[in-house]
Amino acid sequence: MPIHSLGYREWSGQLSTARSRWTVIADIGIRRAWKSMWLRRIVFFAWIPGVMMAMLIYLFEQAASEGQASVFMADGIVQLFLGRPEHEAIRDTLAADHTALPKIVKYRHEFWCSLLQILQRSQAIMLIPVVGITAPPLISQDVRSRAFLLYFSRPISRTQYISGKAATVACYILSISLLPGMLLYCTGVLLSPEISIVLATWDIPIRILGATGAMVVPFTCLGLMLSSLTTETRFASFAWFAIWIFGLFAVLVTSPFVDSGMQTPLEMLSLFHVITNVQAWLLNVRPNTDIDILIPVAVLCVVTLVSLTIVYKRVSAPMNA
Amino acid sequence: MSCHGQKLTQVSLIELSHLTKDYGLFRAINDLTLQIGGGITGLLGPNGAGKSTLIKVLLGLVRCTSGTGRVLGHDIFTECDEIRTRVGYMPEDDCYLHGLSGVDNVQMAAQLSRFPATEALRRSHEILDFCGMGQERYRNVESYSTGMRQKLRFAIAIVHDPELLILDEPTSGLDPDERESMLNRIQVLSRQMNKAIIICTHILPDVQVVCDHVVILAAGQVTLCEDLEVLRRSPDPSFTVTVQGNAEFLTESLKKTGVRTVRISDYSLRVYGEDVEISSLVWQAAADTSTPVRSIVPSRTSLEEVFLKAVQDTSHADS
Repeated sequence: MPIHSLGYREWSGQLSTARSRWTVIADIGIRRAWKSMWLRRIVFFAWIPGVMMAMLIYLFEQAASEGQASVFMADGIVQLFLGRPEHEAIRDTLAADHTALPKIVKYRHEFWCSLLQILQRSQAIMLIPVVGITAPPLISQDVRSRAFLLYFSRPISRTQYISGKAATVACYILSISLLPGMLLYCTGVLLSPEISIVLATWDIPIRILGATGAMVVPFTCLGLMLSSLTTETRFASFAWFAIWIFGLFAVLVTSPFVDSGMQTPLEMLSLFHVITNVQAWLLNVRPNTDIDILIPVAVLCVVTLVSLTIVYKRVSAPMNA
Repeated sequence: MSCHGQKLTQVSLIELSHLTKDYGLFRAINDLTLQIGGGITGLLGPNGAGKSTLIKVLLGLVRCTSGTGRVLGHDIFTECDEIRTRVGYMPEDDCYLHGLSGVDNVQMAAQLSRFPATEALRRSHEILDFCGMGQERYRNVESYSTGMRQKLRFAIAIVHDPELLILDEPTSGLDPDERESMLNRIQVLSRQMNKAIIICTHILPDVQVVCDHVVILAAGQVTLCEDLEVLRRSPDPSFTVTVQGNAEFLTESLKKTGVRTVRISDYSLRVYGEDVEISSLVWQAAADTSTPVRSIVPSRTSLEEVFLKAVQDTSHADS
């Protein structure tokens, strides 16, 4: 027995607020997930696209402020990052008059949004393994190790439990999607010549929030649902990767047979395409009509609601066993 | 079947009235009425008797089909949070959080009971000291032995200083030393800290050592609810006399005086009758037969006999 052992003593301190209980579950989940070497590696690499985008913003602002001296930089940027069909008009203007390159400043909003959309797309790819590592063990391991009893013999509700678990996944998603996006925007503002840029681009942070939300909510709910369906973490991981790979594969196989620019029904099977479509719409870089975007938004809503319903049902099931 | 705890203690901490719980067609708890007071209560019963379901009901983890109940004055249907704040539960199953050390597990349990983070850590160390866990508290729980996991679960159950403790098989899987230590801790909590404790176990010697009261469940009903001391008192008073050497002459001598005597072994016998008259007769007969008496102790019914009788009575009634 330790020499400082005081035996059992009664406790009469101040309890913290009841609302903070889900943060305890989230804190534990985040710490446990962070022990994975693979997760740390992926999170590290997931920041590389953000750094690259920041460099491009720097080049863009240089081109905009230094005139002919940086024409080649601006030209490269336009060719590389405004090279999509919807940017044809900008390209034509700049091609007709190279001296107009410094005037690309008036396309700043569009350029930033394009960069952010590319960033979100690359982050969506990185998030597949990130969620694939963090989400599957969250509920399945609790069921297997009977940790359910440890949680629910305390004053914890199902909603608090699920919120804590969801916050674990959401934390990692936000750390490599929202955070780089916001930092990129701040970098752009800081590098730009005048503060009035904030007025011209005030909507971009809101668009970033929306685009991140479109990714965080379905990713989190789907990950938790798969975790709750099994006691074997590897099965949940397998199902998670299978969903994305199957969807991407279906779109890749069918894309040569359909006209470009058209949405196919199979594209709705690929959650990756659905999410990136919605993100592009939210970042205002894809000229979707409202009808075009309704279907992907509906798909995301259905995935989220069905996943949440299943998670709620599954979380109460072990108690009734 | 009902059992009124008022005869056990003055205050009832648990009051259940006509509780029924069905899992589909299977009735786990059948019209159970029970009152449990302070001290240490042993909750006994064969497998499938409804003990685990009853514990889940007490904690508000499962909702009853019908009936009412209060734990520490809180309704089991509407005030589950208050109940779980004031009750500590040690499950029978191995339940812990993977990938965390022992002290992290206990700290998290304290934080879930709304302890501030720093205070939860301090309290966790204090409780782990009380539970006899040394430096192994910093190891991952996956590497723990059965005994260490048992102690960890006990620490998790008591870290938030509950008023009522529900311990499900607290000594199973422990070596004799650890078992004794665990029973000591339970007794310290009850006798010195005035905690009400319910022990759910199949190990009857443990119940005999620590419990004040016994509740026996069978087929979802309470078949017996009584003070342990009353239960162990034999319905037919008798004394076990142990002698040095052979008990044959003493047995014969006592029979001649008209006392009902049964020889149990070469050196012991059972004498039936009331305390005052029997002891004088035994001493007289021992003097007459020159048989040295080593001890005269009142005979007690073993808890095992009481348990088997209670369970058999129920199964006979069912059949």
